[in-house]
Amino acid sequence: MDKKKLALSAVAVLATLSLAACSSKSSSSSNSGTSGASVKLSASYKNTKATDKSATKNSTLKLAEPNDSPFQGISDPVLSTNAEDADVFSPGGDTPGNINGLFRTDGNFKIIDGGLANQKIDRKAKTVTITLRKNAKWSNGDKVTAKDIEYPYEVIANKNTTSQQYSADYNTIKGMAEYHTGSAKTISGITFPDGQTGRTAVIHLSKVTPAMKYAGNSFIWSSVEPYNYIKNVPIAKLASSKQVRKDPLFTGPYKLDKVVEGESTTWSPNKYYYGKAPQIKHISINVVSSNNIDKAIQSNKYDFTVPNSVMRGTDYKQIKNTKNYKMVGQAALSYGYFGFNVGHYDTKTQKNVMDKNSKMSNKSLRQAMMYALNLDAVNKKFGNGITWRGNTLIPPIFKKYWDSSAKGYPMNIKKAEQLLDKAGYKKRNGSKWRSDPKGKPLTINFGAMTGTSAQAAEYQDYLQQWRKVGLNAKLATGKTMEMNSFYSTIQKPKQNTVDIYAAAWSLSSEPTPTQIYGEDATYNMGHFVTKKNTQLMSNMNNEKAWNDTYRTKAFKQWQNYMNEQAAVVPDNFSYNWSPVNKRVKGFDMGAANQNFWTNLSLTSSSLK
Amino acid sequence: MWKTILRRFLIMIPEVIILSLLVFLLAKAMPGDPFTGSINPKADPQQIKHLMRMNGLYDPWYQQYWNWVVHLFHGNLGNSYQYQEPVTRLIEGRAGNTLWLALFTMILTYVFALPMGVFAGRHEGKLPDTIIRVYTYVTYCIPFFVILVIGIWIFGYVLGWFPTTGSISSDATGWLHTVGSRFYHILLPGLLGALFGTVNIVQYLRSEVIDAKHSDYVRTARSKGVPNRDIYLHHIFRNSLLPIAAFAGYSITGLLNGSIFTETVFSYPGMGLLFVNSISYRDYTVITALVLIYGILNLLGTLLSDIILSIVDPRIRIE
Repeated sequence: MDKKKLALSAVAVLATLSLAACSSKSSSSSNSGTSGASVKLSASYKNTKATDKSATKNSTLKLAEPNDSPFQGISDPVLSTNAEDADVFSPGGDTPGNINGLFRTDGNFKIIDGGLANQKIDRKAKTVTITLRKNAKWSNGDKVTAKDIEYPYEVIANKNTTSQQYSADYNTIKGMAEYHTGSAKTISGITFPDGQTGRTAVIHLSKVTPAMKYAGNSFIWSSVEPYNYIKNVPIAKLASSKQVRKDPLFTGPYKLDKVVEGESTTWSPNKYYYGKAPQIKHISINVVSSNNIDKAIQSNKYDFTVPNSVMRGTDYKQIKNTKNYKMVGQAALSYGYFGFNVGHYDTKTQKNVMDKNSKMSNKSLRQAMMYALNLDAVNKKFGNGITWRGNTLIPPIFKKYWDSSAKGYPMNIKKAEQLLDKAGYKKRNGSKWRSDPKGKPLTINFGAMTGTSAQAAEYQDYLQQWRKVGLNAKLATGKTMEMNSFYSTIQKPKQNTVDIYAAAWSLSSEPTPTQIYGEDATYNMGHFVTKKNTQLMSNMNNEKAWNDTYRTKAFKQWQNYMNEQAAVVPDNFSYNWSPVNKRVKGFDMGAANQNFWTNLSLTSSSLK
Repeated sequence: MWKTILRRFLIMIPEVIILSLLVFLLAKAMPGDPFTGSINPKADPQQIKHLMRMNGLYDPWYQQYWNWVVHLFHGNLGNSYQYQEPVTRLIEGRAGNTLWLALFTMILTYVFALPMGVFAGRHEGKLPDTIIRVYTYVTYCIPFFVILVIGIWIFGYVLGWFPTTGSISSDATGWLHTVGSRFYHILLPGLLGALFGTVNIVQYLRSEVIDAKHSDYVRTARSKGVPNRDIYLHHIFRNSLLPIAAFAGYSITGLLNGSIFTETVFSYPGMGLLFVNSISYRDYTVITALVLIYGILNLLGTLLSDIILSIVDPRIRIE
């Protein structure tokens, strides 16, 4: 389920990497929280025309997956590692990004009843009970069983697995660590009260946390595996097997008719689907080069792009006024950010350590650098309307948790200069540049990934703004860095090459940030650690956090603290958007719409 | 003749070994590893380390190289990290696509270029010659990806004459339909590639024809009263083909290289894209396998060129 990749803000023109923002769950239907954006998009397209029954039955719903390389073809969410696979196989789940998903969610990604299975958390017994619905079936007619709920854990934790999903959080499941190291043959902490072929699986944990109430958490896996169908394939070979690539099974509204390797998938209704019957009888999904997607839309080739697929700002500019299309979008499950290098990672204790004397350890300096930037103008000019300045480290798609009142860092040159003066960063001996409080020259190295020409212009603007307030800033290594070099550099336990960097994170639908900003998080690449921060993050999942109001408050407190400390600062938020042809009816990409595919119908047999 | 071929084959062995070693080391020297792009808030660094260890990526390079060589002799090129399937299968899937497209483009290129070259040479300095020369230079000057983008826009999207993505339509069933659909999909990229890739052949052929026109044997033939048509067909054309024939070996090598541009613009899954992607993803197994294949093909292509040359031109036969 967690195929979120590190969102690379660098997407070259003839891009070879497309690991950009992908999410495990589609998102909220509200467009509140996008107030900073210069264009207003709605998460749904309310087509008032009547459904054309014969068109819905006879024509093909044509979807495009904008991507520069062929998709890998791994249909199984446990094994796939990238966004494209999740996209081209998405009709196999209730909603895009929820292939073979167990649960349904509300608009806040909270797990609710009514899906393939229901979940019950017992705080006292520390168990999570997952019960399948009576008519839960695979697309070949086989029953979905309790073993199918358990098998993903085996695949994830198997010693020889190719899955990248295992994380320390799974060790909270009893017996999981033993199975992972190979000392146990089965996972003792997952039991079947009415047998493997029954409908119930109980997961015994060493602790339960409020995060488990939300889809996308890192404790409870949220999809099923067709155990009977794949049990004879060794787990190491599962990803390359025909059961996963050519003839996979699904529990969603559609079943796979055909996959052309790397190019396209075609779908027809799954008659064993438990929910509302799909109205459209044929779906095709084709990979379209990102360089042509604008032209493909302009010439009415596709009904829409797969929700969550990567559409660029320049595409928006090109196609926003296309006659037969409506632009639909909502805030993405991701954000761009600036990270300051304020410490190192101690490989012995496996903890991040702040260095009090590091170049960027001065809070005023960090704040001043952020006030110096003109992110509003940069996003307006280069964002093509679909990105806007971020105000916190929780994107607005999390309606409840996002702090709409947070100010973030709007440009304020005067304040920046005041902060620097006060902290002792002064121009000395007639120098053009400010030196550090001790009087030593200060050069700030900005690490940035190679990307589009617009991004290059943005970086230059940042440098220019910093120079404006008297800071001698330059690109680390003298030029932008290729993605691999960039991450190799900043992921080193200790490095002095980069003082501040621009990058992006893509989030799961459960936004607890410990794995990127925690004390022992390897991904805490700026190494910002304080007692207060650790405390605030643990508040999000303590005993009191079972109360939603408390949890919401905890998230907001953390956002304010992070903003004030300015060690990791939001850069921008963006829309996750899709052009939708006006013959499509019922399109709603919001998280609250749990019948994404089955709600769709057509009002005409022609796209024009 | 056979001795030459055998000798060339033997020389190829150390060449291939050195090539593979170089490629292997250079690939490893690149910053990052196959899992660099995989970091996300929910991917545990420990699991990534585990996968690295499992794949032997922490072993010393000579051990990795040795393992790779041993596997190679078992016909196993390893598993792709990115695609999670055997490299051989991955390449198998792509090589066919690339081969058909390249073969088609090559044939079309010859079909267009040979008559143009002869025609231009025959009418040296006259209007047809000028037109052909201007045409080849203009097509040579425009970057190929620009042609592709404009081509797909006009013929694919605006006019809608050709398919715009993939190598086969998703609803193709049955033998005839499948082959037809495949052909339909390579038609536009093939035509564009051929129409805009004529310059080398045309220019070579043209100058050869011009040379031949003034040579003694042509003058002799003329004085004997051989019809003009026959002179061009039997005397001039055949002799002018020499450099083109030498070319052919290399072109065949190029068949499997694939074009990154064509494949990107037409979302056509082929070898060129695979190669570039594998480099960005640090998909070591794919990189080394592909470079090795290309290297061997190049060596074979050179050999083939020499053989062709020695067949058409007995003067350069080495004994």
